[in-house]
Amino acid sequence: MTASPPMASSLAAPTAPAPAVEAVGLRKDFGPLHAVDGIDMSLPPGRIYGLLGPNGSGKTTLIRLLAGLASATSGKARVLGVDMPSRANLARIGYMTQSDGIYPELSVWENLTFFAALYGQTDKADLRRSLEFVELDTRTDTPAQNLSGGMRRRLSMACALAHHPSVIFLDEPTVGVDPALRVQFWDHFHRLAADGATLLVSSHVMDEADRCDKLLFIRDGHVLAQGTPAELRKRAGTDNLETAFLRFATESETASPVTETQEPAR
Amino acid sequence: MNPLRVAAVVRRIVAQFRRDPRSLALLFVAPLAIIALLGWVLSSSQSTNARIAIVNESTGPAGSVVASRLESALDGQPGIVLDKSVSDISTARQMLKDKTLDLVVVLPADFSVQNRKIVLTTLGLNPMAEAASIPAIQKALIGAVADSAGAVLPTVERSSIYGSPDATQLDTLAPVVVGFFAYFFVFILTGISFLRERIGGTLERLMATPVSRAEIVLGYSIGFGIFATLQVALVLAFVLGRLDIPALGPVPAFAIGLGVRTIGNPLIAYLLVLVLGLGAVSLGIFLSTFARTELQIIQFIPIVIVPQGLLGGFFWPIEQLPTLLQPVARILPITYAIDGLRQVMIAGADLSTPQLQLDLGVLAGIAAVFVILAAATIRREVA
Repeated sequence: MTASPPMASSLAAPTAPAPAVEAVGLRKDFGPLHAVDGIDMSLPPGRIYGLLGPNGSGKTTLIRLLAGLASATSGKARVLGVDMPSRANLARIGYMTQSDGIYPELSVWENLTFFAALYGQTDKADLRRSLEFVELDTRTDTPAQNLSGGMRRRLSMACALAHHPSVIFLDEPTVGVDPALRVQFWDHFHRLAADGATLLVSSHVMDEADRCDKLLFIRDGHVLAQGTPAELRKRAGTDNLETAFLRFATESETASPVTETQEPAR
Repeated sequence: MNPLRVAAVVRRIVAQFRRDPRSLALLFVAPLAIIALLGWVLSSSQSTNARIAIVNESTGPAGSVVASRLESALDGQPGIVLDKSVSDISTARQMLKDKTLDLVVVLPADFSVQNRKIVLTTLGLNPMAEAASIPAIQKALIGAVADSAGAVLPTVERSSIYGSPDATQLDTLAPVVVGFFAYFFVFILTGISFLRERIGGTLERLMATPVSRAEIVLGYSIGFGIFATLQVALVLAFVLGRLDIPALGPVPAFAIGLGVRTIGNPLIAYLLVLVLGLGAVSLGIFLSTFARTELQIIQFIPIVIVPQGLLGGFFWPIEQLPTLLQPVARILPITYAIDGLRQVMIAGADLSTPQLQLDLGVLAGIAAVFVILAAATIRREVA
């Protein structure tokens, strides 16, 4: 893999901040299925972006392309000015997968220190703080398989954020997390954004959308609409984001009739 | 290549193992139990006696002369119990079926000086075991017939270049068993362990970190190498060592370990098994690509492990295999490991022996090929 100089982005445009995450005509085909079908986006740093769409709309594939875990059929994915996939760039990216992706036999502490070590993060005191945040500091020696689903989710998030990445991809981070903790998660996301991190959070739950600075509605691998929650409400002429999503979906169908049958929600 | 990341992978594998008592038992207790069983069976099976009867159906003088000479030649021979009470063929056949006789020597009704055909009858359910007593009978027969002709027979004594001619079956099987266990267990454990990475989503997670494929394969090799090393050390110690425990009260005397003789350096034997094990780690990673569940890893045993056991020189020398199968046997790592271990343990080969250099070289080459294949499949999964 080619390692581009990681600091290339800071040299780009000194006036307007260079986008933290960028996609240019990004496509990914799986056989006849266009999972990501030509997406363009440019996300300035320090914000929380919500990636919203039904199951099978291409959210996970888009995140995997941006995180450098898959290579695009065509187009470009760029993170902090570096073309993905780039292994060197991964040290500045945090990725929380949809499945927990932790080792069930290992304890909470062993899981966290293992993933942190792969990023070169070995500061024990700092790792302890990231466990405190997800309220797992009293369970350091518990094997992950003995944790509840919500606790595993929290551990998974601690593992993704332990190395203080500046770009964070979170694939459905709040699934199985109870409402009280969900509020804490979002508060933490806002703190991270305030410190300059860029977050892209996927969800299929619309009530989380209002917590994002900017939303991207995505369906069948396309971006239906993007803007702040307020802008999208105004454009769709409704207070309900769910209704707004459906309006944009109908609009795009009438504007460009679907020429080939897309596979429905997988 | 970042040593800290490799070390993190190694530490993780060791930690996972420590929390998995079943795998530890599979690695350390199972081979010892099987080898102990094998040693026990092989060392005591030689003491059974063949029960033999002679039936003379002929009425001529030649028949009775040969029968009585045969009887005196066989009677009292070690390993043979002659049943003199049997005189007719139907009783003898029934006794074979009842397993009260192992072999019946029949002089047929038309036996004469001109027609000297003698029939040896056995049950036929287990031809290999029954054949074991036939050489002793043939020797006695030759003696009995030659004696009647007044000829003097030469005496034959066996000698061999390597080892001792009376080396037991155990001495030749032990090297094979050591190599085979290491290969089998390392393959199964890495295969399943890596499959869990794939289906548990942790491989996806690993690929999102700066760790490289080479670092993962190396970490796995070292992590499992540590356990393979411990296992081989234990198994070798058990096979080569022997600790006699004297009788104590009601417990009879017994021995721990097999006390197999080795002429060569055990460290070279160790090196061979280690290189073989490295190949097994990568083979496990590689094949886990083609499995979706743990059961499917088990399904690789008849495809990957059993043919190596059959063709690798375990039961038959490569040269005795059908011509078509010989090239197959020559690409199997087990073939070279078994040959190398026999060279070391029986023929006393050291690192300057060309044959051993070849074995080690081929094993290292096979391991290298699978390391590359393993690294390539990690990419395929993710990209």
